[in-house]
Amino acid sequence: MTALEVEGTEQAESLRLRTAPDGRLIAYTARGPLPVRVRQCFPWSEPYRHLSIRDAEDKEVALVEDPKSLGGESRAALERALAEAGFVLEVTRVVSIDEEVEIRQWDVETRHGPRSFQTHLDDWPRSLPGGGLLIRDVGGDLYRLMVGELDKASKELLWAFVD
Amino acid sequence: MNHEIISRYIRQPAQLPGELRARIEQSWGEEPILLYALVDLDEGLTLGESWIALGDRQIALARPGALEAWTIQSIHRNRIRAVQLTPGLSANTLLLLGEPDENPLATVRYTQRQRGAVENIRFVLDESLAGRAVTPTAEDADRVYADAVARPVRDAQALVAGRESAVILRLLGYLSPYRREVTIGLLAAAVVTLTSLVPPYLAGFLLDRVVRPAQAGVLGRAEATRLAWLAVAAMGALYVVRQAAAHMRLRLMSVLGEWVARDLRSELYAHIQRLSLSFFSRKKTGSLITRVTADTDRLWEFIAFGVVDVSLSIVMLLGLGIVLLTLDWRLGLVMTLPVPLFCWMIYWHGESLNARFIRAWRKWSRLTDVLGDTIPGIRVVKAFNQETREIGRFVDRNDAVTAEFNQIHRMWTTFWPLLMFAVHTTTVLVWVFAVPRLLGMGNPLSAGVFVSFLLYTTMFVAPIEVIGQMVRTINRATSSAHRVFEVLDSEPEVRDIPNPVRLSPVRGRVEFDNVTFAYDGVRQILKGVSFEVQPGELIGLVGASGGGKSTVVSLVARFYDATGGAVRIDGIDARTLDTGHYREQLGMVLQDPYLFHGTVLDNIRYGLPSASLGAVVAAAKAANAHDFICRLGQGYDTVVGERGHTLSGGERQRISIARAILHDPRILILDEATSSVDTETERQIQEALERLIKGRTVFAIAHRLSTLRRASRLFVIEKGRLAEAGTHRELLAKPNGIYRKLYELQLQLQ
Repeated sequence: MTALEVEGTEQAESLRLRTAPDGRLIAYTARGPLPVRVRQCFPWSEPYRHLSIRDAEDKEVALVEDPKSLGGESRAALERALAEAGFVLEVTRVVSIDEEVEIRQWDVETRHGPRSFQTHLDDWPRSLPGGGLLIRDVGGDLYRLMVGELDKASKELLWAFVD
Repeated sequence: MNHEIISRYIRQPAQLPGELRARIEQSWGEEPILLYALVDLDEGLTLGESWIALGDRQIALARPGALEAWTIQSIHRNRIRAVQLTPGLSANTLLLLGEPDENPLATVRYTQRQRGAVENIRFVLDESLAGRAVTPTAEDADRVYADAVARPVRDAQALVAGRESAVILRLLGYLSPYRREVTIGLLAAAVVTLTSLVPPYLAGFLLDRVVRPAQAGVLGRAEATRLAWLAVAAMGALYVVRQAAAHMRLRLMSVLGEWVARDLRSELYAHIQRLSLSFFSRKKTGSLITRVTADTDRLWEFIAFGVVDVSLSIVMLLGLGIVLLTLDWRLGLVMTLPVPLFCWMIYWHGESLNARFIRAWRKWSRLTDVLGDTIPGIRVVKAFNQETREIGRFVDRNDAVTAEFNQIHRMWTTFWPLLMFAVHTTTVLVWVFAVPRLLGMGNPLSAGVFVSFLLYTTMFVAPIEVIGQMVRTINRATSSAHRVFEVLDSEPEVRDIPNPVRLSPVRGRVEFDNVTFAYDGVRQILKGVSFEVQPGELIGLVGASGGGKSTVVSLVARFYDATGGAVRIDGIDARTLDTGHYREQLGMVLQDPYLFHGTVLDNIRYGLPSASLGAVVAAAKAANAHDFICRLGQGYDTVVGERGHTLSGGERQRISIARAILHDPRILILDEATSSVDTETERQIQEALERLIKGRTVFAIAHRLSTLRRASRLFVIEKGRLAEAGTHRELLAKPNGIYRKLYELQLQLQ
């Protein structure tokens, strides 16, 4: 074993995943069926590869480098779980951005409904590797903005935050 | 305040709708709701409004139904076998699980914003499943929910931004002790303004009433000379009065601004010293320093110049308008009508620069990020040979910020000449309208009035500029005032009762009587801890990180008050003690000893400034610090620098022990005092500590269990409970004891 190899996780090829009737992701491993969750190792750089399958104790059960290596049913189950694990609020329109003492107040429309949120004044939106901006509000929620796809008024409001 | 934050910023219900609460409680047979949370994601991850409510025996999920009604699903808590949380980037899923072969009893999805409130419910359920009953009170349900939802915004901005006028009024309240100076300063400023209006009028008078009549032979030479000299003398006297008033105004208002800034700084610093530790864990040190320094300085600027400049500019513009319209209303209108437009143009310019400044500020912070990363981490940069890459990164960001600032310079250097051009255009317009009249066409205009006009026009620019920037000036001042008032309005969580008990001296008996403690009021860090420690005992606190050891010593030091049960010192409830007097008899030696900027001597006698030099040396000897101090260039008078950075960790630790020895506390807290030092230093520190702890009640936290062998008793604190208590020998004798396992594990590692 080299220094870069780690023992203890299931081989992705032998991994079987299913969505239980209650919506939970179940992994069939040597230990038997196990409720698991999925974590993206690179949520922005490579969101659909290098997926860590973890048990209730948050220990890695398997690392799926490429979901294509899984069987059809397992892949479908993984994609369903991924939609929830990787959920961030997708902004479709920026209504207003106002500065107040210590915080910046954002009013936006998202694919999931309207939302108002706050960021620290010195917390700047982050440019994502795949394009777009990522904003983290004071409560920890993430907002993704594909600036190129927004309307003119939104772009003008965002002008100061985009290179 | 939480309600205000929720309705103003977060824009979700500030409490459970009354009608829904009534329906849930009715369906539970009038059992009250103890906790609740908003669930803001539905199954398809769309934002919405559902609620989860916890009662003593039931839990309810309310989802929006048809016709604005609620569909309520109640579940008996005794059916819940497990609670499972799946955290995501922004969506969390909480499952309430029943029997293993049963589908989940309920699934709720929510964003991070609702996490605090949902976590409170999860905590109570988890505790209950572990056989530990936690029963929140129904009366607190609204407060706990609002607190959990508003907390992130409140931590970012503790004082909800109020109306600017109210903040300015509060700020101006700090001028009230200096009413006399303010009145004189304002009067002086008014004199400056009014006297500025007179010279152009005198110039016109001289021309129309003296020079021209004298040239035309209408006025005798002697009379003309007398009037001319009178006018010149009046002009001279005016300038003397004006400059004297200007001197008085500048001096009084700048001094006054300093007094107000001084008062604010002192009040702020004194208040910060009184605040509880939880406040400091919420606020960054840099931010607090800025409030005491830069913000109060900006308020000085506002009080010294902003208040007066803005009010006098308004007076000046009004005065000019009145004078010009009185002298000649037609020309007066030409001059005054564009003034509001000029003010608006300056305001608009400021606003358009604002977006530019945000962009430049963002790029500036990216530049400083490189510095903040690479200067402290220079060893890593060098070790990985990344200097060239880091230089490139810095140069790119430096270029970007320079380009942004140059854009700003291009904007203002274009705007101001254009504005001046517009002002001069009005002057030209005055000429256009005036010249035909001067030549006898239309309404006659005297040369004197015309000259007065020309002189008055030059006086328009300064007040227009001040008024145009008034919004920005006031915004800056209110922003600073908010940041200062935010701290001043924070209440210390540990407060002394009227007529508190003073223990003179503290004997050192410490009793925990079923003590519970929660930082947020719900999730308990200590869960019913009870013990009694006799004076002179050395108690070792051991257990995994996060178990509650530090919370125990924080309660002994009264940094916080117990949420439930009581901490008693010599039989007296700690909540009734005079905190300051009690802490005078308490000592602490921390893992990372903090030394202040100053000499070794100052640091050793920090808690007892009147200690004699002999006592300082004796304390240093007892702390095994005397020898290395004498080896320092200037002995005890050596300045150790900020945080004692010129000394090694072991040396700093021994100075802090000497400080504690000199302070002679009755109760001593040692928090990982010997960790992160080498073996020889540890031996010296251990030796010093043994001298220090003699005759005192000592609570010592240590991960290295070997350092606690001499403890009278050891308390194993695990998951907020006192799991084991006894001597080293007694605890090792327990076959499956936690302490024994920890001890054996450490032996194996050695």
